[in-house]
Amino acid sequence: MLVWFLPLFLFFLMIGLPVFFGLLAAPGIVLWLNGQERDLALLYRNVYNGMDSFPLMAIPFFMLAGELMNRGGITMRLVEFSQSMMGHLRGGLAHVNILSSMLFAGLSGSAVADTSALGSMLVPAMEKNGYSKRFAAAITAASSVIGPIIPPSGIMIIYAYVMGESVAALFLAGIVPGVLVGVGLMAMTVIMANRYNFPVASARANWPARGKSFLRAFFPLMTPVIILGGILGGIFTPTEASAVAAAYALFVSLFILRSMSLRDLPAAFTRAAITSSVVLLLVGAAMAFKTVVSLSHTPEMLAEMILGLSDNPLTLLFLINILLFIVGMFLDAGPAIIILGPILAPIFTDIGVHPVHFAIIMSVNLTVGLATPPMGLVLFVASSVSGERVETISKAILPFLAVEILVIFLITYVPSISLAIPRFFGFIQ
Amino acid sequence: MAALQWPFLALSFINTLLLRIGRQLGWIAIGLMVVVILVQVYFRYLGSGALPWPDEAARFLMLWMTGLVAPSAYRWGGFVCIEMLPRALPSLLASLLSILLLCISTAVLIAGIQFGIKHVNSGWLFASSTLKLPMQWFGGKPLPIKLAWMYMSLLVGLILLLMVNIELILRSAISVLKPDHPLPVDADQAKLDNT
Repeated sequence: MLVWFLPLFLFFLMIGLPVFFGLLAAPGIVLWLNGQERDLALLYRNVYNGMDSFPLMAIPFFMLAGELMNRGGITMRLVEFSQSMMGHLRGGLAHVNILSSMLFAGLSGSAVADTSALGSMLVPAMEKNGYSKRFAAAITAASSVIGPIIPPSGIMIIYAYVMGESVAALFLAGIVPGVLVGVGLMAMTVIMANRYNFPVASARANWPARGKSFLRAFFPLMTPVIILGGILGGIFTPTEASAVAAAYALFVSLFILRSMSLRDLPAAFTRAAITSSVVLLLVGAAMAFKTVVSLSHTPEMLAEMILGLSDNPLTLLFLINILLFIVGMFLDAGPAIIILGPILAPIFTDIGVHPVHFAIIMSVNLTVGLATPPMGLVLFVASSVSGERVETISKAILPFLAVEILVIFLITYVPSISLAIPRFFGFIQ
Repeated sequence: MAALQWPFLALSFINTLLLRIGRQLGWIAIGLMVVVILVQVYFRYLGSGALPWPDEAARFLMLWMTGLVAPSAYRWGGFVCIEMLPRALPSLLASLLSILLLCISTAVLIAGIQFGIKHVNSGWLFASSTLKLPMQWFGGKPLPIKLAWMYMSLLVGLILLLMVNIELILRSAISVLKPDHPLPVDADQAKLDNT
């Protein structure tokens, strides 16, 4: 009887019920019909206990840091630095867009923030430089998915918390895959630039000019160094590192760059609070949902079903990537991880896939889903900042999506891409 | 129609006011969270050693921030959902579906509030091990804070969500009965987006 909560939950999701309510309504109804009143009370308490967590606090702090960096004019400095490095190449602004996303990823960890911050600046600039609006919007959306892969990453904090993994290990495991996505997108840009004769953005900057633009971007670029350095050096926990990152972003914006005033702070703090409150409620509901997942023995049943398809882990990983990709087309990465993590991860770790490796496969795959039609969130954001239709951007993004899918399979079948760095630093065995 | 419109306008006004207060407290809470964690880091490395209370104080603030601010996100359409079916349906059917979904949400919230009241009541029996009101500053003894004050954050959040939910049901019902009828929108959202 209890196992019916999963189809009911999927039904609720498909008819448009917010995920938060679906995560509670489906198991709640089944428990109630089953006469398990005590477990209903447990469901409520687990929502509360799920939110009452110190590691989870990193989410509002990183969101605040990203918000402050974004509003504080820091994005502009990153773009200027990227332009001095890559603006002279054919298709220079497209490369600048990708490199800026990689640098921005070290500050924010959100694909939506990346698309809106870089898109509003680079899409008009690219259009002025001779690119079509749809290409500019597509490359902005495609490169923004690097945001949640390179640390810090909101979805990796969620995954680590829901699945009991180390945040630091996941952060480190995301570095190479994130860089790979960026390099892959740049390679595709080179091919397209030669084929369609893309323009060059600017003359090659000399090293003093590059040094000057680096100095202007120095303080924002130090954020990931502080976060990762602090965590790896054992100085801060990830939560403390996120609070330090928020305080650092505030200090840089107010006193060094002077790009924000005290008057701007309430709005920036409020936006960060609003975004993170939605995530925190979702995580709370997910922890309650996870209780019912365990009570119903769903993972065991699904494991039996999945292992019945094949006993070859490589085939199963291929199939799971397809499943995740389809889910990513319809659902945001965070909620998808919250729902599927507790169900799928135990199955794959049981057949020998390293938990951190599986976390990265899942995170990267679902993050790429943010840029896939029909429901990819960053496509909608790219559409709103560029004024181009979602359908048009969806077509233009296809070559870049092909690259990202290739990277997903590389990550899947070459575990050391994800595991080498956390293993080097001793976070995993 | 008036039977729906007046309760809607009254509730809309009350919600606007309450959620505005909630957001004000919410942004102060997130700011204090940063301060509290920095105090902890400072005392661990430069002060007299790690303090016992900052971790729990920061969690206390985070829970209240969530409870007070999430209802604004819900009212502004910030709760994640798959909108393919509602978008594919004709407008009347989509509105009816929206009312059905809101009714399911209402049932979840009412059940949640009932469990929440019991949860808060249980919290009066236990006190926080680290969070204490510094009554010694006023000649008394430190007063441990009851866990109910923390538990209350989720209950208050659910009550505010229910109020928003009822407002959304009334809004949808009015839209079904009179599709062209102009309804007030929360101007605070646009103001925040443009800041």
